[in-house]
Amino acid sequence: MKSLNDITGSVKKNLIWKSIFRRDYRNTVRDRAQAVFGNVFLHLHPVQVRESAVKLRFTWGMGGITFFAFIILVITGVVLMFYYHPSIDQAYTDIKDLEFQVPFGVILRNLHRWGAHFMVIVVMIHMFRVFMTGSYKAPRQFNWGIGVILLVMTFLLSFTGYLTPWDQLGFWAITVGTNMGAATPLLGYQGPFSEYLHITPYNDVRFALLGGAQVGGNALLRSYIWHCVAIPLFATILMFVHFWRVRKDGGISKPQK
Amino acid sequence: MANENKNNSSYRVYVFVFFSVLLLALSVWVVWDDEFGLRPWKKYQEDYKALKQDKLEKDYRRAVVDFQRAGGHKKLAELEAKLSKAEAAFQSKENQDKYTKLNSQFEAAHDVLTKSQKELRDLRGQFLETEYYYTKTQQPEYKAKMDVLQRSIDAVGLRVAAQQKVEESIKGSLSALTAGTAGIRAEIENMKNGLEEKKEKIANNGKFPIEIKQIHIKDIDKADRCQSCHIGIDGKSQVSNKQPFTRHPASFVYLDHHDPAKFGCTFCHRGQGRATTSAEKAHGNVKHWDEPMLQGDMTQTSCLNCHGDIKNLRGAESIIKSTELIKKYGCYSCHKIPGYETVGDVGPVLTQVGTKVNYSWAINWLLDPKKYFATARMPKFYFTQDQAESIADYLFSMSGTTRHDVDNTKNKPDAKLIEEGKALWAQSRCNLCHATGGRGGNNTKVYAPDLSKVGSKVNKEWMFNWIKNPNAYFPGTKMPRFRFTDEQINSLVAYITTEYQDEEAEYKYVQPAEIKPASIAKGKDLIQKYGCYGCHKLQGMEDMVQVAPSLKKQGVTFLRNTEMREKIGMELSSIGSKPVEMLDFGKLKKAIPNDRLSYIKQKLRDPRGYRLGLRMPNFRLAESEINELASVLYGFTDANVPTRFLVPSRQELDRMAGVSSYKFTGDFAKVIADVKCTNCHSIRGIGADYAPDLSIAGSKLQEGWIRNFLANPDVIRPLLQQMPKLGLTSGKPPAKVTMPKFNLGKQKVEDTNRSDVDVVINFFQQELVTSDIPKVLPQLKGTTQDELIAKGKQLYDLKGCKACHQVGTDGGALGPNLTNVGNRLTQGFIFKHLENARKFKPDIVEPNYGFTEAERIYLTNFLMTLKLSAK
Repeated sequence: MKSLNDITGSVKKNLIWKSIFRRDYRNTVRDRAQAVFGNVFLHLHPVQVRESAVKLRFTWGMGGITFFAFIILVITGVVLMFYYHPSIDQAYTDIKDLEFQVPFGVILRNLHRWGAHFMVIVVMIHMFRVFMTGSYKAPRQFNWGIGVILLVMTFLLSFTGYLTPWDQLGFWAITVGTNMGAATPLLGYQGPFSEYLHITPYNDVRFALLGGAQVGGNALLRSYIWHCVAIPLFATILMFVHFWRVRKDGGISKPQK
Repeated sequence: MANENKNNSSYRVYVFVFFSVLLLALSVWVVWDDEFGLRPWKKYQEDYKALKQDKLEKDYRRAVVDFQRAGGHKKLAELEAKLSKAEAAFQSKENQDKYTKLNSQFEAAHDVLTKSQKELRDLRGQFLETEYYYTKTQQPEYKAKMDVLQRSIDAVGLRVAAQQKVEESIKGSLSALTAGTAGIRAEIENMKNGLEEKKEKIANNGKFPIEIKQIHIKDIDKADRCQSCHIGIDGKSQVSNKQPFTRHPASFVYLDHHDPAKFGCTFCHRGQGRATTSAEKAHGNVKHWDEPMLQGDMTQTSCLNCHGDIKNLRGAESIIKSTELIKKYGCYSCHKIPGYETVGDVGPVLTQVGTKVNYSWAINWLLDPKKYFATARMPKFYFTQDQAESIADYLFSMSGTTRHDVDNTKNKPDAKLIEEGKALWAQSRCNLCHATGGRGGNNTKVYAPDLSKVGSKVNKEWMFNWIKNPNAYFPGTKMPRFRFTDEQINSLVAYITTEYQDEEAEYKYVQPAEIKPASIAKGKDLIQKYGCYGCHKLQGMEDMVQVAPSLKKQGVTFLRNTEMREKIGMELSSIGSKPVEMLDFGKLKKAIPNDRLSYIKQKLRDPRGYRLGLRMPNFRLAESEINELASVLYGFTDANVPTRFLVPSRQELDRMAGVSSYKFTGDFAKVIADVKCTNCHSIRGIGADYAPDLSIAGSKLQEGWIRNFLANPDVIRPLLQQMPKLGLTSGKPPAKVTMPKFNLGKQKVEDTNRSDVDVVINFFQQELVTSDIPKVLPQLKGTTQDELIAKGKQLYDLKGCKACHQVGTDGGALGPNLTNVGNRLTQGFIFKHLENARKFKPDIVEPNYGFTEAERIYLTNFLMTLKLSAK
């Protein structure tokens, strides 16, 4: 036993250990708090949480579960990108190959697809809970606003990801979705007042979304880049703001009493 | 703090443990499934390997047994004994000394030779160098040097040759010394070889890797992994009869001409080539995969992807037969189908139909064509009585007639005339094309109408004019103009109109009735709506075209330009690859399987069944015909075909090469436009395969015989044509067939002074000839004509020609009767035909005897003596 203590003692005296953990850890309130706010990943999180606030009955844990789903989607999404070409000749066959050939391709793709559905559902339940418990009220108004934007981000991620398999379902979903854009007032060529801005099918918002007047190779590439780069980046930044504000606005909301 | 909760969390531990175990089990299952569950081909390949191993081992054991039974092991032992004896002899002191001596001699000679060869090379190099300078500078000194060098090159060359000879001779004596052992060794090797090879095969089979087998066609990015399971599909021999291990059926036709490594599988068979996780998925029998795998004859539909012309295509028999139906029913009349743009109207001309048929008959025909005769090709449009009358009113008014009927049963002609007509009917072989009373009509490709009830349909004047000159009423009809006299025609009309009557026929308008203009207008609308002009030429609608919806939107209502003509029906050029979600199943969405083939079949079965307002008429096809037609339509795809796969038709090749296809010209074109030889015969690729191909008839047949045959046709190949088909293949057994008598030679060709038979003969001898057939036979020196004939006669008896051929009354009747062959065929043709009968007629049954040229000359000379003297 003594020798084990010797070994741990010598490891802890090691320069590398010290440079990573900075200080010794004793199981005290102070050290536990130190461990949280001394860590870049954990410092967004409050050091202490009231027991009543972590009651599952009140929060349903939906915010955390949403974040968990997001992490799964990022990890599976990155791996999927290794097997996928955003071109109309290859996209569909790449998806088929994920199903038939790629090692663990089936579980990979299904995790991503079902995880995406799961996240959309969970994020809405989260919003519902926040609304029903009145947690959007002062001092949390700003974070509610951030949350709404994050909800839109989630929907946009889901929508742009829909086209990537390049199947009939995605094709027509994007066709219908962007046609709705074409009917935007002023900015869509079918929308009211668009004629005053000289909007045509070739310079309206739909054209900007699709990179053309039809759903084609450009639309696929655009949705791919929105899906894999731009929106996740925005969402991640906003998520940090969201978590930070949870803490700054008085911690996770709890039952009034 | 975590420890403080310990007391109230015991149930949570169980939950935690439960889910942990579940997660672990799931993870294990995911790994197992990914390795084995989703990769069933691994098991198949293992099984195949085992089966092949069994087979190879069995082969090997059998070979060993055979080897021993043939005394192989005894022989081997003998040989080995011999070898050891020879080796011992070789090891003897005397031989060893000789061997070492020769060896050292050889080495010395070889050294000398190598040196000389090097010298020669150097000299040649110097020569080339000098030559280069000489050509550059033209200095005479170089020329002189070249001469010197040339002389030394010659000298050294001679030396090298001599030294080579020396070396060769030493080598010869060396190998003579070792020849005994080497020969025996080679013999032993040879004996063991077969067995060794088989042993090696067994060893190699074990090394065969278990892996995905993929064929990738780069230019269309098709990846077929079918062979991952169908591992033995292109094997040299059948390893197992069980799927998926079988060999490709008839692979000598399909795979030999379509290398799987180049074409893949799904190009012909469709299915989902990338799928490997289950047979259902790979075969495409899953939801949302539009292309289920094609099996059996249905696969032949894919021939249409690349082959521009499937006529005579081996292995495409089923689709060739099916494609006939497109022509039979004239699908291209209403639908745009690639390749059928220039095919003529399927229905008869109706511009003067009011002068031809009875009004009552026309109404009944419009209501239900099959009621008049069962094989009628015209479909049922489900007209009401009123609509049928309107259409008939339009047609009759355009012919300038009223509603009228003629009852041919009144005014019976006299019996003698009818008798004459009957004889003429038989002599002219009308039944060859026209069926009556369920008999005849063997030449099915001309689709001549059934005449069983024609006496109640048409009037006598029209029939007279029709027989006299069919082209006058219907330009381009398939009915030939028999050169009858007016009296003959009268007798024929009398016979037909009295013999072929419909007992149930009604004659409502024996008293003609006027036609109301309102009815005519209504009829015109109906004709436009249903597109009668697609199949029939109609008066007042020659330019009638359907305006494309896209043009209609732009305000175009009428088109005269036939180039822009849009057919009334949907374009079918890519129906076989149309996405299933674009097919309108309408009312039957839940009643029938939602796939393309089911859609096409149901459409053919009940064309107006999917929803209200459809216009396609019902052809009332038999279920077999529906399957055949559907298989053809399924082959009209816009599949992505690499150009290197394409096999253009002859016409396309001609067009690409800027050559116009073969066309009849001159006076013969006029004769053939009348007599329609190509209804039955094929000439230079034009025409049908019902009667012999005449493309080289000018070289084959003698003029006098052609003349006689045209005047009095007789059967040439008696038994072959009569032989019943024994139900081995579908189709009616042909009756005894002879050519109709067209009465050629009695008339002059239009605008010329020449007899029509002369024109035909002239055409045969000018155009239908080939340089492959010589006009005269090669001469044999030193034999008289009589000797040649005698030898030919001997050969004829010796080879048993008379088993099939008849001369006089002696001999079999499978081959042509040779009694008069000396008058019929040219000697050049017989000579060449004996060399290789299949050269001119690939499907001939005559065996190839491999005659020498002399034998062929004997036989030809003999056969040319077989002549029937003129009576």
